[in-house]
Amino acid sequence: MARISAGVATSHVPLLGVAVDQGKTGDAYFGPIFAGYDWTKRWVAEQKPDVIVLVYNDHASAFDANIIPTFAIGTGEQFKPADEGWGPRAVPDVSGHPDLAWYIAQSLILDDFDMTIINQMDVDHGLTVPLSMMFGTPAAWPAKVIPLAVNVVTYPVPSGNRCWMLGEAIRRAVESFPEDLNVQIWGTGGMSHQLQGQRAGLINAEWDNRFMDSLIGDSDAVRRIPHIEYLRETGSEGIEMVMWLIMRGALGQRTRLLHRHYHVPCSNTAIGHLVLEPD
Amino acid sequence: MSDKADIQDYLAAFDDIPGTRIYTAKRAREGYHLNQFAMSLMKAENRDAWKADEKAYLQRWPMSEAQKEAVLARDYNRLLDLGGNIYFLAKVFSTDGLSFVQAVSTMTGMTVEEYQAMMNAGGRSPKGVRSIKDAY
Repeated sequence: MARISAGVATSHVPLLGVAVDQGKTGDAYFGPIFAGYDWTKRWVAEQKPDVIVLVYNDHASAFDANIIPTFAIGTGEQFKPADEGWGPRAVPDVSGHPDLAWYIAQSLILDDFDMTIINQMDVDHGLTVPLSMMFGTPAAWPAKVIPLAVNVVTYPVPSGNRCWMLGEAIRRAVESFPEDLNVQIWGTGGMSHQLQGQRAGLINAEWDNRFMDSLIGDSDAVRRIPHIEYLRETGSEGIEMVMWLIMRGALGQRTRLLHRHYHVPCSNTAIGHLVLEPD
Repeated sequence: MSDKADIQDYLAAFDDIPGTRIYTAKRAREGYHLNQFAMSLMKAENRDAWKADEKAYLQRWPMSEAQKEAVLARDYNRLLDLGGNIYFLAKVFSTDGLSFVQAVSTMTGMTVEEYQAMMNAGGRSPKGVRSIKDAY
């Protein structure tokens, strides 16, 4: 049977992709950020996940103002890096896992999550930057990826509790898939950042670290954090952290911490990164 | 554990955050054509037409005059007020060759250098800018 063996959380700042693509990951600005991913790069190479369910948000790349799916799952064979206005990133195409993706989609719908199913879409920095952070610059990505896009732009975005429940339902789906697959779930985005208005540049290291603390162990208090708290405490774009709760919900009742990293700043954003195992 | 938020209270609270425009359905409706205009700049041929004659390019979009003026002036706070969303507006400043830090700093009343120095020193503290009403 397939199983969810681990969860990874990481910010997905576009500038990190630029740093990788321009070979600047060791310089004075980016060095301390990337150093926090060295452990994970070694770990993921040993773990060799077959499939990654990669939870991210589209930043007006694949979806414009016409179609705004709350939860969308990519069931295609291949996903190309999006042209976000300055040409697509020169990274490998992303290979999907249509068998498992369609299986999860069906299972989720029967489990009361009315998913949007996407056969063709380009994937932006929200998805490709985490792959670069964990895998570096390979000729082909070493794992299949099932994109799971969440609306965290147009309000109301899904509640933290709903995200956690979606994670639980993804776990049930994966664990009933008959093929023997090592599946990881990654939750991306955040941490504190605000890209707009006079309050732009907001960072809240204390809140971010409390949030990371509460994903470790058996607490489920984070699922009750209301949107307004994310917005006040972590900036308008800090709301992306609800996507980490999909990852957390999929790991079951208790988690064990394998690795943790936090750094300010990267561009306008606080970088946070966790590796967790079901415990 | 469905403790559904009252929609009126939920939306009203957003207006209590200083210097912040949450992209609500109301803004998404007002900004629909503005955001779709910005989205069109993802295509190279549209970027060329836009750069060749910005005013003429805007005529293709049924936007309000206020929105058109704010686009031409690159007044991003005004554009947020008129329904623009930052991820869509990013197509406009990317076409101008600006980074997120450069464009975002223009909304804060700081110079790019001041803004960058603030970020390198740990960013803007949430202290005093969490709530207008409660000033904490």
